Amino acid sequence: MRLTHRHGLFLLGASAALLASVLVYLYIMSKADETETYARARDLVRQIKQYDSQWENEILKARITISYNYDPLVSPLVEMTRLWQAFETTEALHGHSDTPAWRTAYADYQGALAQKSRLVEQFKSHNAVLRNSLAFLPTAEDGIQAQLGQLADADKLRLHNIATDTYDLMLSSLEFAQMTTDDKAADILVGLNKLAINKERLPVEFHAPIDILSNHIALILREQPKVNQLLEQIEAVPVAERLDDITLMLDRDERAATLVDQQYHFYLLVFSTLLVLLLIYMGIRLMRSFGEINRVNRALVSANDELEQRVEERTRQLKDTQSELLDTARQAGMAEIATNVLHNVGNVLNSVNISADLVTRKLRNSKALGLGKAMQLINEHPDDLGRYLSEDAKGKMLPGYLNQLVEAISLEQKEMADELTQLSKSVDHIKDIVATQQSYAGASTLLEPLVVSTLLEDALRMNAGALTRHHVTVLKEYDEVPRIMGDKHRLLLILINLISNAKYAMSDVCNHARNMTLGVNRLDDTLQISVTDEGEGIAPENMTRIFAHGFTTRKEGHGFGLHSCALAAVEMNGHLAAYSDGPGKGARFVLQIPLIIAEGES
Amino acid sequence: MAQPLPLLVVAATLGASAVALAQSVGGPFMPLPALPVLAAERVELGRKLFNDPRLSSNNSLSCASCHQLDHGGADRLPRSLGVDAKPLPVNTPSVFNASLNFRQFWDGRAQTLEQQAHLVVQSPTEMGSDWTVVVQRIAADPQYRSGFAQAYSEGVSEHSIQNALATFQRTLLTPGSRFDRYLQGNTEALTTEEKYGYQRFQEYGCIACHQGVNIGGNMFQKFGVLGDYFKDRGNPSEADLGRYNVTGDEDDRHVFKVPSLRNVAVTAPYFHDGSAATLEAAVEVMFRYQLGRTPSAEDQALIVQFLKTLTGEWEGKPL
Repeated sequence: MRLTHRHGLFLLGASAALLASVLVYLYIMSKADETETYARARDLVRQIKQYDSQWENEILKARITISYNYDPLVSPLVEMTRLWQAFETTEALHGHSDTPAWRTAYADYQGALAQKSRLVEQFKSHNAVLRNSLAFLPTAEDGIQAQLGQLADADKLRLHNIATDTYDLMLSSLEFAQMTTDDKAADILVGLNKLAINKERLPVEFHAPIDILSNHIALILREQPKVNQLLEQIEAVPVAERLDDITLMLDRDERAATLVDQQYHFYLLVFSTLLVLLLIYMGIRLMRSFGEINRVNRALVSANDELEQRVEERTRQLKDTQSELLDTARQAGMAEIATNVLHNVGNVLNSVNISADLVTRKLRNSKALGLGKAMQLINEHPDDLGRYLSEDAKGKMLPGYLNQLVEAISLEQKEMADELTQLSKSVDHIKDIVATQQSYAGASTLLEPLVVSTLLEDALRMNAGALTRHHVTVLKEYDEVPRIMGDKHRLLLILINLISNAKYAMSDVCNHARNMTLGVNRLDDTLQISVTDEGEGIAPENMTRIFAHGFTTRKEGHGFGLHSCALAAVEMNGHLAAYSDGPGKGARFVLQIPLIIAEGES
Repeated sequence: MAQPLPLLVVAATLGASAVALAQSVGGPFMPLPALPVLAAERVELGRKLFNDPRLSSNNSLSCASCHQLDHGGADRLPRSLGVDAKPLPVNTPSVFNASLNFRQFWDGRAQTLEQQAHLVVQSPTEMGSDWTVVVQRIAADPQYRSGFAQAYSEGVSEHSIQNALATFQRTLLTPGSRFDRYLQGNTEALTTEEKYGYQRFQEYGCIACHQGVNIGGNMFQKFGVLGDYFKDRGNPSEADLGRYNVTGDEDDRHVFKVPSLRNVAVTAPYFHDGSAATLEAAVEVMFRYQLGRTPSAEDQALIVQFLKTLTGEWEGKPL
């Protein structure tokens, strides 16, 4: 059950994660930030193209301007390089450029640009010297014409021809700069030859300027076609076309991306619809489950109520039973207490009985009866009492008898007084027992100074009659023990019980003397009192339950004595233990209580 | 990558504004732009590296050994001595305003200052070192290490060392020349003779090549347009082939980058071979082989006077 639950949970989590990742994937794939990237890339390409056309514009300017700053022919290339780097970075970031078509487009553009910049470098060099020479041409020609004008002695016509030739040559050269044709080139070559011939005819100071002029014209003749050719080549370099190609590819890529985008949008839509359907289905399922749960819940609630009612009923029954039990227990407790009291009282009554018996017997056999007989003899002789007392044989013995009688009576009186004292002590003890049990003072203890040996004597005396009757000899093995603080009543109760038990145990003994040994020992802080008999002993199987309530081996026993003794011992923080080697081998009961020495004792 | 981009934009913007200024003046010349705003910690790292001989294989040469900033950014020798104490193939160009040249080296083989630093360090004749060694040495220095860690996300690397050097060099502009002050509208900045020299400079066509913000440095040109300089000089060397050594194109034979004329008065000797010891000699060679003209001695002297007004200031002092 638990495994299935965990399994189901895992499955649920996995499917949720799967659905979420599909959703995220579709969302990412259909994101529309591509447009911005393409716009930026196109913008960069457009800027590069602008710089390219600016570059061409500057080239054309350089072609016609005499003195020209060539910095503008450098800076567009710098800008284009920078923008191209930015473009490449943008494209590389979006991974568009990693196809053979793109690599080709890049290479084509860069190749074209390299070609163009090389041609522009060459154009700059050639154009600079060409412009310089063209600019110099009129000055050089003017110089020669001026010099010719200063020649006074020469042939005017020849000089004029030379001047015209030179002028024509210059004009041809300047025309050549505008219209570079082979005819013009041929014209210039003819002019140069003429100039060379003319140079020979002129004085030596003309040689240098004419050389310079022809050098420069030769340079124009050489450089102008070169510059024109370079311009044509520059124009032919398809930098702009390559950039257009790139733009077209960007457009195409963007269209493709948009298509893919739309596709993923569609997928997303389909997927979302499916998800919504799934949700609706699950919602219905959930509502059904909810209804079912509600139904079960209601059934559970009613069952619960019923159960509670039953529990209440049972509880009430239990309570009744418990109070009944309590009453029974109380009655049983009261019975136990009563048994206890009666038992203890019975024990003491034994002594009372004996004392009363003794006094009765003494009274019955009292010597006081002799006094009556003596008085009868005296009364028979009322007239001659003196004579009777001094002359009659019987009368003469009367005073002596009376004297003896007096002694005997006084002895008798004393004995009876003693016995009555004992009797009243026993009655006191009964009173104590009754008082104790009446106040239910099981737990309360009254400590008073006690002499252990006196206590033992009291206990013996209370059993004295029985002991004598059963011919029990009491042996005493008392150690020196100081006065203690103890609960006299409980101690007496225990001792009386133990002595009584020992006496009973030996009632069937006839083959040896009936000896009972009382012992008092002091073990550190413990006072140990033992009662040992040589009676019937205790069977091992009885050892464990000998102190249990209701256990007895005697026909007339209650099974109460030892139980109450053990309780009393425990109430005094002490301990009562029984030892026996087995049936017929006697028993030994040992009472141990904490030794509390009374004040004023060492 | 994210860090250098803003700098590039700053540089580009400055470049663009310079172009705009040039167009508004309309002439072929313009004063130097203001110092670019660059990351100070990178500039400082570049300054340290520029003077650090650990960049050369045997710790003998720093950039500053040849590009002495107190000697016009060069070393006054026709050809400087490389790491093996042998003369290099060409004369050392000034490092001042080099960032305004459209290419680096006489033959323009480096597009950027970074590339220039790279080529010099690993050239067997110049610094003769190796980037792994250089990076190791620089990274072993705790000061550099913490400096680079602060200035570059990548820490010490070949790229960051080159960039630091280039960044420092972009600060090596020499504004405040008398000619620039003149261009800025202070007509008293030039004497009458110097103004005449400026006029001759334009008339004779020097400006055909020496124009723009750096007065040169924005195009290639054949050395010997109107005369064979190398035949006349004799003793041709491989370096005389110029850009041909880079492109292998016959058209590029003897073609060199037109050098900037800024601070030209303090950067003798002249030309790629260091053959012209004085400004006068250099101007003469230019007239003969590039312009193909014979100026009067007076005009030539005026032009030389004008050229001396192109000396700018660095750190507030004239070069």
